[in-house]
Amino acid sequence: MTKPRFSLSLIAAIGLTVLSSTAAIAQNYPDHAIDVIVAFNPGGGTDVAARTIEPYIEKYLGEDLVIINKPGAGGEVGFSLLATGKKDGYTMGFINLPAMYSYSYERDTAYSPKSFTGVANLVYDPGVIVVRSDSTLKTLQDLVDYGTKNPGALPIGTSGSIGSSEHIAILGVEAATGAKFNHVPFGATAPLRTALLGGHIQVAAFNLSEATEYVKDGSMRLLGVMSDKRNAMSPDTPTFREQGVDVISGSSRGLAVSAGTDPKVVAILSAAVEKAVNDPEYLAKAKAAGVPVHYIGGADYDVFLSQVSASLDAAWAATPWSK
Amino acid sequence: METLQAIFHALPAVLAWHNVLAMVVGTLAGMVVGSLPGLTATMAIAVLIPLTFSMSPLVALGIMAGIYNGAMYGGAVPAILLNVPGTPPSIVTTFDGYPLAKQGRAALALKVACWSSAIGGALSAISLMALAPPLVLVTLLFGPSEYFWLGILGMSSIAILLGKDPIKGLIAAAIGLLLGTVGSDVVTGQQRFTFGRLELIDGINLLVILTGLYAIPPAIRMIEKRYSENTERIEIKGHPDDGFFKNFKYLLPTWLRSSLIGIGVGILPATGGSMAAFLAYNEVRRTAKNPELFGKGDIRGVAAAETGNNSDNSAAMIPALVLGVPGSGVSAVILAGLLVHGLQPGPQLFRDTPDIVYGFMWQMLFTSFMLFALGGNIATRLFSQVMRLPQVILAPMIMCLTLVGIYALSNDMFNVWIMFGMGIVGYILNRLDFPLAPIVLGLVLGNMIEQNLRLTMLIHQGDLTALIASPLSKVLFGLCLILCVVPIFRRLRRAKS
Repeated sequence: MTKPRFSLSLIAAIGLTVLSSTAAIAQNYPDHAIDVIVAFNPGGGTDVAARTIEPYIEKYLGEDLVIINKPGAGGEVGFSLLATGKKDGYTMGFINLPAMYSYSYERDTAYSPKSFTGVANLVYDPGVIVVRSDSTLKTLQDLVDYGTKNPGALPIGTSGSIGSSEHIAILGVEAATGAKFNHVPFGATAPLRTALLGGHIQVAAFNLSEATEYVKDGSMRLLGVMSDKRNAMSPDTPTFREQGVDVISGSSRGLAVSAGTDPKVVAILSAAVEKAVNDPEYLAKAKAAGVPVHYIGGADYDVFLSQVSASLDAAWAATPWSK
Repeated sequence: METLQAIFHALPAVLAWHNVLAMVVGTLAGMVVGSLPGLTATMAIAVLIPLTFSMSPLVALGIMAGIYNGAMYGGAVPAILLNVPGTPPSIVTTFDGYPLAKQGRAALALKVACWSSAIGGALSAISLMALAPPLVLVTLLFGPSEYFWLGILGMSSIAILLGKDPIKGLIAAAIGLLLGTVGSDVVTGQQRFTFGRLELIDGINLLVILTGLYAIPPAIRMIEKRYSENTERIEIKGHPDDGFFKNFKYLLPTWLRSSLIGIGVGILPATGGSMAAFLAYNEVRRTAKNPELFGKGDIRGVAAAETGNNSDNSAAMIPALVLGVPGSGVSAVILAGLLVHGLQPGPQLFRDTPDIVYGFMWQMLFTSFMLFALGGNIATRLFSQVMRLPQVILAPMIMCLTLVGIYALSNDMFNVWIMFGMGIVGYILNRLDFPLAPIVLGLVLGNMIEQNLRLTMLIHQGDLTALIASPLSKVLFGLCLILCVVPIFRRLRRAKS
């Protein structure tokens, strides 16, 4: 009868050591600099956002962050590195949704939504549909009517490629209303915005923060915002839902670590990011740069991540956007 | 009037001592970065952005303006001395710069490059100050079909790059076009020639191919020559005819013509300095009385290339500042730098922070003038020291610098291997007398032509007439026709007589 007790106590002992050692890690964490993977080029949107918030996270974490740019494949190179990286809390990365998840439908990726544990969301930018201010399309309903009467005739430019959040959103509008549009992927916001301002394309879909200044100066008009409620950046613009089209879409940017990282470590990181995001100096900077800051932390962020993943699953099942 | 007032209101702050210092430091740093193959102004500014957080916006922008203008000139230095372009646009500078150097006129070529960069940069800065808002209207005239024709127009300048054997030149251009197709297709998401490698999905970075083709083969040849024959030494010696005023009259038409082209190209997003240099060189050569001198060491060739790429600089900031649409890679990172300082590009930028916007324009102008002072005799003397190094030492140094520069692009060895691969390809092509410049042209323009053609076809559902629907696209189409057809007629007429 002594044998099993011995092994039990052994297991207990091992368990205790493991527990105490992880506790020790969490206690001393962080004791050296943390690598932060940015999956885009230096100077790009994500990079600038990362470098803007970096000093504030450092301030509250008490340790250096080292930004490492790992561009490639629309971010997939960096995301894969984060997913397969060390789980000791010293490798963190910026993730961009839904882009990061949507690659997994189009090709085999080294990660799945389960490969990441969210630290905190920083930015949420809802999708919008915009027209030039002299357009005959006044409301979302006009757009839908046009697309129903002339299926596939109206070109809508999107700032991404196939499978971008805007592309998936347009597919969602088509599925919800029966209208058909002609999707024209411009690959980036800048050329699309110029083409819209120059009248080379009549309708465009991109993110709200990229449109607000042009709406303010009267050169563009918003037909609707794809968020669940009206957005503070443009409170007068009705949502798609208000106009009877149940489509919610937007891009978000947040911080994550590889799944399996000690939850205590994640909590420490998450707390530091929360303080950083609420730092008045940071908020002033973000506001001046037009960054739609939107903090989601802890368990809420995990819920948010799984919502994004589920809605992509649903969209893929309804209308696969790529062969 | 109001604008003029705003412009001059910004001047005193720009002339504060710390801002002047920032411009000097930036210009010097830019010249060094530009002269190192594989390192570019884009990279330097991107690295600088986080360091500028604590600086005042004008100091940060002064450094950026200096780097921008300095690097575009710095690229000419190795282009002239080593036939290795330091930045993509300075490929065009090698056409006449290197032959000049071989004739013992390296000092003159460097000076011409310096004057031309300064003049192109200054005229461009003035256009930015005076005409930014109205010039944006020109940007808006260009949609997908217009960009398509612009690309075709650029491709027509290929004729001058073909060299002695047109067939080889065309093959080289085809290689460039082929390399440009690597990556995922924007319209369908299909992957082309990526062989399952993630690193290739975004396509091969132009800089990787360029550095491989242009920096590695000369390094190999340097070592080779060391063992086979006496090395040809490039001497940098002054000449009594090298003065600015002695050459002023000869170069003035080239400067004006190339500046106009550079500014025109600059305000169109998605084109950039390489295209400006190519088009300016082509145009100056086409209108010259004695075009046969080009490519053999004509200072007008150096002047056209350098004026073209520097006059693109400030002009590229016009759509960037007014519309938030960067006209080149460098202006894109400068935009990011502005954003970090809470300056959001767009119409409100001129309304809310005129002192900073116009201050930046002054800085673009002043840093152009600084090229005169810093890039002239001082730099020439400095760089001549590099040339005194034995080539066995210079060759590995070039290789190391390129390796570091290319590695830094994505912190990854993959690009470095591609670069060395391209280096070997470039060496073989060189040995077989294939010209390399058409590869670059194909690479730069192939994507632009393809994407805009497909966008036009998508928007207009395959209607080919959409390509010449707008008045501007008709004009551009006409220009392309003239450029392609006129030489044929000329040749026919010459054959008859």
